[in-house]
Amino acid sequence: MSEIYEKLSTAILEGDADKTPKLVNRGLKQGLTPKEVLDNGLIVGMDEVGVRFKRGDMFVPEVLMSADAMAAGMLILRPLLVESGAELLGKIVMGTVKGDLHDIGKNLVSMMCEGAGFEIVNLGFNVEPDVFINAIKEHQPAIVGMSAMLTTTMRAMGHTIKAIEEAGLRDTVKVFVGGAPVDKEFADTIGADGYGSNAPGGAELAKQLVGAA
Amino acid sequence: MPADMAEQVTFMDYGLHRVPSKLTWAVQDAIDAVEHPSLIVLGYGLCGNGLKGINARQHTLLIPRTDDCIAILLGSYKKYIQEFDTTPGTYYLTKGWLEAGSNPLQEYEEIKEKYGEKDATWIMDQQYQHYERLVFVTHNQEDLEAYRPQAQEVAEYCQRWGYRYEEVLGSDIYVRRLIEVAMAIDKTDSDFVVIPPNGEVTQDLFMR
Repeated sequence: MSEIYEKLSTAILEGDADKTPKLVNRGLKQGLTPKEVLDNGLIVGMDEVGVRFKRGDMFVPEVLMSADAMAAGMLILRPLLVESGAELLGKIVMGTVKGDLHDIGKNLVSMMCEGAGFEIVNLGFNVEPDVFINAIKEHQPAIVGMSAMLTTTMRAMGHTIKAIEEAGLRDTVKVFVGGAPVDKEFADTIGADGYGSNAPGGAELAKQLVGAA
Repeated sequence: MPADMAEQVTFMDYGLHRVPSKLTWAVQDAIDAVEHPSLIVLGYGLCGNGLKGINARQHTLLIPRTDDCIAILLGSYKKYIQEFDTTPGTYYLTKGWLEAGSNPLQEYEEIKEKYGEKDATWIMDQQYQHYERLVFVTHNQEDLEAYRPQAQEVAEYCQRWGYRYEEVLGSDIYVRRLIEVAMAIDKTDSDFVVIPPNGEVTQDLFMR
């Protein structure tokens, strides 16, 4: 069993979007559950991607290829996970804040959270505080996730939290934040409930925030 | 810049900011290499937190209070924010970056070598498709004309995402003020961060 897990995590690490779905199918055929394939194969690979990216041993093109491979695997696993009655952990409204157009990281976190059992409402990028507020009203999520990739735009996370507060909705949601320039200290300063330093960490955090980890 | 100051300039490698932790180590090493207590001017902004955590040791550090070099190129933080508010999705080009090959066209050529045309195109689209504008900043008309063909070549490539191309005459006023303050540190103001001996660079010092 461990062989297929290792092959899967390697395929993710190498960003091989052809091999990954084949290996996912092979694992399932061997009798592994979708959750086992996801947790012990794909996510282990993505964890390593996160570590290497932070260390500067992997760059954006490679991370993109890995995310693409992950998406190819998830395409098979997602319906099976739903079918297998894996517990739905709640909704997450996710967006890159106003002024920021980077959506690679936010989409990656969304995918990881989806894998962990959340339903994602993806608001896209350059999202105004009002759009977050309306989405909270409409979708009543458990969590709001915000991303910023620039020190110039990370301040908009604080403004968005304040706007959610002023709309009287802050107590209805947990807020978690992430993105290259963001750290725990900043997250605390702006009053977020949590900070994730990479995509798998973001999914773990989301689980913790709803008391499922 | 006075000659004695110019003699003491250390040029860092280009592109360290791409991995901010590498920028931190490189700048810290350069600071540590200065033997006698000195005023060290860092020609950086916060640079994606690349400067965060740097310790002044026995020196005093003087740093432009800006997120990155764009404010320095445009002449002021205010000008940068104005540009930012108009079009957040702006990719900046300068003479230096054109020379160093740091632009989407060059990046495409490099990753094409590694991944082939199809994947390279996909990778580029993923990273750059949401920007709207390419701005070429120069400090004088001469450079503008000399480097325009190169900038336009990049602009042509960026047409695939519908970027509009603009040219902006920047200003060296921020750099001039940095030198002024370096010569008389008591002239410092809210446009600069001063880190006393043994102090550490923190993110919040740059927030405004």
